[in-house]
Amino acid sequence: MEFIYYFGDVFTPISFGLLLLGTIGGLILGATPGLSPTMAVALLIPFTFQLEAAQGLILLGAAYTSTVAGGAVSAILLKIPGAPANIATTLDGHTMAKKGQGARALQLSFLASAVGGVFGVLLLIFLTPVLAKWALAFGPSHLFWLAILGVTIIGSLDGSSVVKGLLSGCIGLWLSTIGFDDIMGAQRFIFHPSLGGGINIIAALIGLFAIPQVLSMFAKGRKDTTSELISVEKHSIMDALREVVSSVRALSIGTITGSIIGLIPGVGGQIAGLVAYDQSKKFSSEREKFGTGHPEGIIAAESANNAMVGPSLVPLLTLSIPGSPTAAVLLGGLLIHGIFPGSDLFDNHPQVAWTFINSMLIGQVLMCIFGLYVAGLAARVATVPQYVMAAIVLGLAVFGSYSVQSSMGDVYVMLSLGVMMYFLERFGFSAAPLVLGLILGPIAEANFIQGSMIANATSGLGPYFLTGTLNLFLIAIVIASIIYSVWMELRSRRYTAKEDLI
Amino acid sequence: MKHLIAGAAMALMAVTGTASADGHANYPERPIMMMVSYGAGGATDFQARIVTMTAGNEDALGMPIAILNKPGAGGRVGWNWLAGQAEADGYTLGAYNVPHFIAQSIKGGVEYSADSFEPIANWGADPAVFVVGKDSEFNSMDDVVNFAKENPGKLTFSGAGLFVGHHIAALQLEKASGAQLAYIPNNKGGAGAMKAVIAGEVMGGVNNLSDAFRAEQAGNVKILGVFDLERNDFLPDVPTLKEQGYDIDNASVNFRGVMVPKGTPQGIIDKLAATVPEMFKNGRVAGKMKAGGSPMHIMTRDEVLEMWAAREVTLKELLAGL
Amino acid sequence: MNRSQHIIPSGIVAAVGLWVAYISFTQQPSEAFLFPRLIATIFVVLALWTFAKALLGRSRTGAGLSWEIIRNMAPGLLVALIYVFWAAKGLGFYTATTIAFFILLCLYDPAPHNVLKSWGKRLLITVCFMAVMYGLFAKLLKVYTPREIFF
Repeated sequence: MEFIYYFGDVFTPISFGLLLLGTIGGLILGATPGLSPTMAVALLIPFTFQLEAAQGLILLGAAYTSTVAGGAVSAILLKIPGAPANIATTLDGHTMAKKGQGARALQLSFLASAVGGVFGVLLLIFLTPVLAKWALAFGPSHLFWLAILGVTIIGSLDGSSVVKGLLSGCIGLWLSTIGFDDIMGAQRFIFHPSLGGGINIIAALIGLFAIPQVLSMFAKGRKDTTSELISVEKHSIMDALREVVSSVRALSIGTITGSIIGLIPGVGGQIAGLVAYDQSKKFSSEREKFGTGHPEGIIAAESANNAMVGPSLVPLLTLSIPGSPTAAVLLGGLLIHGIFPGSDLFDNHPQVAWTFINSMLIGQVLMCIFGLYVAGLAARVATVPQYVMAAIVLGLAVFGSYSVQSSMGDVYVMLSLGVMMYFLERFGFSAAPLVLGLILGPIAEANFIQGSMIANATSGLGPYFLTGTLNLFLIAIVIASIIYSVWMELRSRRYTAKEDLI
Repeated sequence: MKHLIAGAAMALMAVTGTASADGHANYPERPIMMMVSYGAGGATDFQARIVTMTAGNEDALGMPIAILNKPGAGGRVGWNWLAGQAEADGYTLGAYNVPHFIAQSIKGGVEYSADSFEPIANWGADPAVFVVGKDSEFNSMDDVVNFAKENPGKLTFSGAGLFVGHHIAALQLEKASGAQLAYIPNNKGGAGAMKAVIAGEVMGGVNNLSDAFRAEQAGNVKILGVFDLERNDFLPDVPTLKEQGYDIDNASVNFRGVMVPKGTPQGIIDKLAATVPEMFKNGRVAGKMKAGGSPMHIMTRDEVLEMWAAREVTLKELLAGL
Repeated sequence: MNRSQHIIPSGIVAAVGLWVAYISFTQQPSEAFLFPRLIATIFVVLALWTFAKALLGRSRTGAGLSWEIIRNMAPGLLVALIYVFWAAKGLGFYTATTIAFFILLCLYDPAPHNVLKSWGKRLLITVCFMAVMYGLFAKLLKVYTPREIFF
């Protein structure tokens, strides 16, 4: 309960002002295509040079929480996921916005984010010592199985054909191997100089999601679309609140999945949303509604995204190991002020540590209030005529993918992947599995190679990868996931015409 | 008096005249970009952001330096870009890590060598150290080496990758002790390698002194030896490998500094070489670096050129057998 | 129509799969290509399966393409390709974006071309958009984009 004692420090005029600044700034940065939470926090670091340690961290903590939620804004309104975390949000959120229910989608996403986020930070406050052990329990073999688990959801994620889903996943896995191999340093598949640094995940995301949408707007041609213009429905916040509360299942699946996955160093943030989305789809009685603008899809994805924020800082605060790129940047923010995180951080610098955590707690609430306030206004983006929208999204995609690492190569990769994806989508391939493959490829590969190097020096491959409680547990989930997908496939095939599937 | 003013004016004109003759009198006219070939939040990135934070001051460059991260494959991605694709106009700087890029260029498969870049100045020197988990049975390097001699190839220890400082230190240890070791490169850099040690995935690890110092303060690891010529101010109680009887020099010490791609106009190189070391000496920079546990070591362009040449010779010898 | 349409994309994917497999199994060092070999094997199996199904005319998913779609899309796609692959670097980001944005509006805006008012509207939208982009990327985020001719 010690944290309550330090709540006062968050509400001093300067601190609260910084908290507001961080939250609003974070939402804007998060909603800008191409700016991931990591980059947004890195951009703010120079501002903290001038501030005291606690104040600097208030700014960074608030910015971190709200950039993750802000990514949902561009995912819902423009179908450009701000970061890998927001991919799952586009699936239902953008469909909903296209139906004129953008305000509802945004309200749901902010409310679910706040619920997940507050839960995650509370976990960080109360269970840090326990969670720290859990975070360390994942060695190379476990991370490898976890990546394989991710691969098994590829087929069931999106689209109507399992084989094409898996094939899209394979294309993604292959794309992830382009560039220098991370451990040996060998060059692989570099057939154009732009690919020397591999395919940047943010640039790829922008291309794969935004460009097909631009092209399908072009495909409608120069005709009067005012008749197609949707009226943006107003949606009361109370209704959204009721809707979130009534989707307990999606909310709890999202929050719990996000918290657990967020803990695992190096994996968490990127796949939490997708895994939660897939799980709540599997457990839902209205499975077929997912992907057509179903509120549960948004709630699961967004609560998972923000639930992961708190736990992802556990390894950093207790063990001084940054578990994610954003945590690494936050570590820099701490070090500049001479604060070394570690198990004694809460004894040596309680004021800084607790103020930081409290600011994330209050930041979640502020982010939600501010987000709900602008949701109705932001949803009007959907009334922008399509020909203007296509040009705007194209321009944003080009600037966004360039600003990731000031590289023209990323822009070329973005457009090439996007144009390719448009044509593939017309023939039943889909972007979400492809992106999941792109994310999981490096995790699976690096952990397999590291694991096998350790295994060869010690107990041998078989015992290293196939024994141990956690390994067996993960393998069991992998098998269960595969059996479940096959069973669902067979069951639904019985009800529909045979040729339509696979 | 009149003569004096006229003389001064003449002198001034002469100075500006020669300076503008090669067109760099006003350099820099816009913000400068510095490429760091490791991810945001890593030790190199963190230090680069601190040492460049005063670049906008009038007594330094008068223009801010923005950090651009191009991580991947132990730094190869970023340095390849700097050597091949970056514009050599003085507005694109790069951070170097020695011995990393020299070792990689000797090993091959990259588009750069020490001749592809022009050093400007060095800001830091971060020696490699040997760490083990806090509950480890090893208490000195002799314990480690004896275990490795009894169990050849079974002593697993982590490091930040292949052909980086940590790997060089590992090779030196293997050579000096005569034991057979199992070096496990990590794809997440020094932080990932440290996690592997703390979590007990490996029996030990080579890591940066700055990161290991922090982990030791947090009570997570023991530091058994420093791969340098003398003990470090941050760790006065930890003996060097040489003191423990292993013939290992400072070839693995991670020198960090600023360079530009070859082809950058000489006028700009001269101006940077004169200004940048002074910029590093700024009191605020030193204070932040010390607070973050990062050892500073400022060297001028000439000293760095000498250091690069010396490293190239040592590394060629060490890597010859691989 | 539908059958031959599916043959082309699945054929291209299968060809890419075979190429990936060929590279993976011939390049050295083999440790570095271990993972690509694994992926390539699954890739080729799935791609050939899809291709076979397309040949048999049993591919039903996806909406396919029509001449109308291609005709409508071609000018926009052409502008996008020229914009990204040449103009953005050749003319500078802001100049190229302004021109590309304006051309796209003219191509797809249904308002009549012979009225001065609709041209004014297009110009106004372009100027507003560029102002926002300049403020956001150049001023707020301080991204230094290639700028050849103007700002």
